[in-house]
Amino acid sequence: MHQQSPSHPERRERLSYTLDQLREEGIFDLPQIRLLSPRPAIRDDVLLVHTREYLQFLEETSITGGTIDADTYVPKDLIRDALLAAGGAITGADAVINQEVKNCFVLARPPGHHAGRSHGAGFCYLNNVAIMVRHLQRRGMRRIFILDWDAHHGNGTEEIFYDDPSVLFCSVHQYPFYPGSGRIEDIGIGDGKGYNVNLPIPAGSSDKEYRFLLEEVILPLAEEYMPDAIAISAGQDNHFTDPLTGLALTARGYAGLMQEMCILADSICYGRIIAVLEGGYSVEGGLPYTNLGLIAAMAGLDISAIREPEIYQETLHSVASADAFPKVIRMVSDLKKILADNWYFIRRYD
Amino acid sequence: MFTGIDIGGTNTDIAVINSHINTYKVPNSAGLNTALQKISTAGRLAISTSQPLNEILTGPPVKIRTITIPGPGLVYQGAIKGAVSHRGDVVEPINPEEVRDMMKGKPAQAIAIAGKFSVRNDVLEKQVYNIASEYFSDDQIALSSPLGALNFPARIHTTRFNAQIKNKVARLIHQIQAVHPDFFFVTSTGGLTSPSRALENPMLLYHSSPATVANGAFYLSKNENCLVIDIGGTTTELVPLKNGKPMHETVILGGLKTMVQAVTTTSIPFGGDSCVREDLCPFRAGSPRSFGGGEPTLTDALNVTGARIGDASRSKVIDSKKAHEIVHRYLKQVSMAVKEYQPEILVGTGYLAHYLLSDIAERAQVVGIVPEHAASANAVGAAVSRISLEVHIHVDSERKRLTLNGMTYPYKETSDDEGLLAYTTEIVRDMARAEGAPEEDIEDVQVLLFSSYEVVRGWRVTARITDAILGIAPGISVEAL
Repeated sequence: MHQQSPSHPERRERLSYTLDQLREEGIFDLPQIRLLSPRPAIRDDVLLVHTREYLQFLEETSITGGTIDADTYVPKDLIRDALLAAGGAITGADAVINQEVKNCFVLARPPGHHAGRSHGAGFCYLNNVAIMVRHLQRRGMRRIFILDWDAHHGNGTEEIFYDDPSVLFCSVHQYPFYPGSGRIEDIGIGDGKGYNVNLPIPAGSSDKEYRFLLEEVILPLAEEYMPDAIAISAGQDNHFTDPLTGLALTARGYAGLMQEMCILADSICYGRIIAVLEGGYSVEGGLPYTNLGLIAAMAGLDISAIREPEIYQETLHSVASADAFPKVIRMVSDLKKILADNWYFIRRYD
Repeated sequence: MFTGIDIGGTNTDIAVINSHINTYKVPNSAGLNTALQKISTAGRLAISTSQPLNEILTGPPVKIRTITIPGPGLVYQGAIKGAVSHRGDVVEPINPEEVRDMMKGKPAQAIAIAGKFSVRNDVLEKQVYNIASEYFSDDQIALSSPLGALNFPARIHTTRFNAQIKNKVARLIHQIQAVHPDFFFVTSTGGLTSPSRALENPMLLYHSSPATVANGAFYLSKNENCLVIDIGGTTTELVPLKNGKPMHETVILGGLKTMVQAVTTTSIPFGGDSCVREDLCPFRAGSPRSFGGGEPTLTDALNVTGARIGDASRSKVIDSKKAHEIVHRYLKQVSMAVKEYQPEILVGTGYLAHYLLSDIAERAQVVGIVPEHAASANAVGAAVSRISLEVHIHVDSERKRLTLNGMTYPYKETSDDEGLLAYTTEIVRDMARAEGAPEEDIEDVQVLLFSSYEVVRGWRVTARITDAILGIAPGISVEAL
C-alpha cells in the first residue's frame, strides 16, 4: 500500500477509518452496492496522458527511490501503486460504460490532479482522472465534464485539457492557496477557449457558498455542455476539520453536492458519474463521514443523518466565515463577464 | 466419559462415550428431563438444542423493541441520541429520559439494544441496558457488543434474534443445570460453548444439528473427504466434509444477514416423518403410523416395501405399488442432489440411513457406508466436539484500549506486532481454559486476520491501531480421540 513516509499526510491511515465506517454501516451488503477490484493500468493507458519520458522517470525512480518536490517523494515501488490507482479509475469507468453500474466512486491512493503531462507534484504522480477521461474517450465517449472540487486547484488536469474542447474542466478551490494557479481569467486556449472554468473561493467558504456555485455555475454549465459522462475529482480536503486547508464544507454538504450531481447526471448523461478520490487529510473527523455521505448519495440512500459527531461543531463555527459569501458572489459575477461569449446560459438574461 | 445430546424434531438422541459408545433415543414427547435423568452426572455433557430454537425463530412473530444508537451515518429505525466513534470514544452521550420514554411505550416481549461501533466501546449499550433492566428482566434484553465484529445492520438483526430466543436459552440452562451443573452447548459451527457465552449470543446455538452430524460422521467413519447424508424425521441434510471438517457460511434468516456462521448444508424437505397423501408431502403431520401416528409416512411406505421399522403391521394402509412409488420418488430426488456434489464416499447417518443409504448410493453411483451408531451420529458428534472461539480484537495504543468481542480487557504495552499477538493469543487461550478446554485443544490458535497501522497527528506517530481475529477452530476434542 502506497506510503511516502510514515508521517506524511497522504498515508495508509487516510482510508482506514473510512473502511471501518463503511463496514460498520454494512455498505458492502447492500444490493445496490458493488465492490469492484482494480486492475493496474498499463503503459498504453498512462501514455494517453503523460509523456513517455515522465513515465520512464517514474519507473526508474521507483527502483531506487527519489524526490519530485518538497511534498512529493518517490518511495520504492511507487509505480506499482500509482498504476493501481490509475487502473482503479479505469476499472470504474469500464464498469459504468459496460452498464454494470450506473456510477462509481474510486477510493484510490495516491491522488492525481496536480500531475501534468510530464511532471508530478503535490502528492500526485499519475493523473488518475485525466487517464480515466481519455480512456472514456478511447471507448467512444465524446464530451466529458470534469468537476474538481478538491480544495486545491487541479492544475495538472487543467494543463492536460487546456486546449481541448472535448473535456470541460471546472475546478472549485481555495484561493489564494497551493498551487497558486486557478484564476477566473484562465479559460483555456485555442479550440479549448471557454472550456476551462475556475471557481476560486476564499478560506471560510462553507455549504452555502458551494450550493451557490452549484446553482449559479456548475449545473447550468453542465446542462449546456451535455457531456456523455461526468468525472469528479472528489477531494475531501474542503471539509472543515481538514488540517491542511481553510474551507468549511460539512459531510452533509458533500453528500448534498453529490446528490445534486447525481440528479444532474440522471437528466443529462444516463446517471454516469465516475468520482475519484483526490486529497482529504482529516482522517478522523472528516473522511469517514464525507466518504460515507458521497457513497450514500451515489447509491440513492437517505442522507439526512450524514453528519459529523457533535464534538466537531465548535471547529465548524471557528472555520466558517461570514465574509466568504459576498466575495463568492463577486467572483461569480466577474467570471460570468469573462465567459459570457462562450456560454449561452450566462448571456440569456442580458 | 463424554455424553452428547441432540434435541431433534422428533426424538432426542443421547450418546455416551466411554471405552465404547452407547446410544439411546428418547421421544421428545417424554420431555427433556427424561433424557437428562437417563445420563450419569459424571464426565462432560454437550447439548445441541437447535430444534427448539429454530421453532421459535421460524414461529409466530414476537414483539421485539429495538433501540439503536447510530450516531452520524445512515438512517436506522429505533434511533436514540448518543454516538461512539471508530476509535471507541464516546462522542455524544445518551439521553436517559429518551430511553425511559421508549420503555414506557407499547408493550414488548424483549428488547434488542445495538449501538454503532459498540464493539469498540460498549459503554453506551451498557447504559441503555441499565435503564432497560428497570423494566425488563435480564433474559429479555440482548446487546450487540458481544457479537464482536463491525457490521451494524447485521448486528441489529442478530441482536433482535438473540432477544427473541434468549429467554428460552436461559430456561434451558436452568433446567439442565438443575441435573447437570457443568455442561456445554454445541454451536452452529460444531464447536462447544459455555452456557454463559451462549447467553450473550444465543444465536450461536442456531442450526447446530448439521454441525453435530458432521462431527459425528467424521468421528464414526474417519472419512476426511466425503458427503454426509443425514436422513432425519423431517428433512434430509447433505453436509460435505473436507479434511474432516464441514464448510461454514453466514446465516441469513428471514432475508436478513446475521453475524452467525453455520455449517453449509443442502436441505431436502423430506424425511422419515414426511406424510404420504396423494403424493409424498414435504411436511410432517404427526409420527409415522408404525410409531403410533395417524397418517402414513415415508417410514410406513418403507415398511410396506419390506422394512421392519417400529410396528410395521400398522403401516399397511398404503398399497404396495404406491409405497414403491413414494420410496422411488424420495430416492430419485435425494440421489440427484447427492450427484451434484460428486462425492468420493457417501456416509449415511440418521435413523433411516440403514434402510435407504445403499439405494441412494447405488443411484448416485458412489460408495456408501453407514457407520455403527449412525442413527445417533448427531449425539456422538455433540459428545466429541471441542470448545471453539472466535475473538475479534481491536487495540488502540493511544487510548490504551483493548477490546475482545466488544469487552474491555487490560491493555498491555507491547514493543511490536509479535508481542501484541502473543499477548492476545494467551488471552484467547485463557478464555477457552476458563470454559474448561484441555491444553491440547487450545495449542493451535488460528490468526484469521491481523492488520495494523499508525496514527499520525502533527507529523508524529501518536498511536498504533490493530485489528485482529483469533480463533480456536471447531472440531473433535483431542480428549475424545
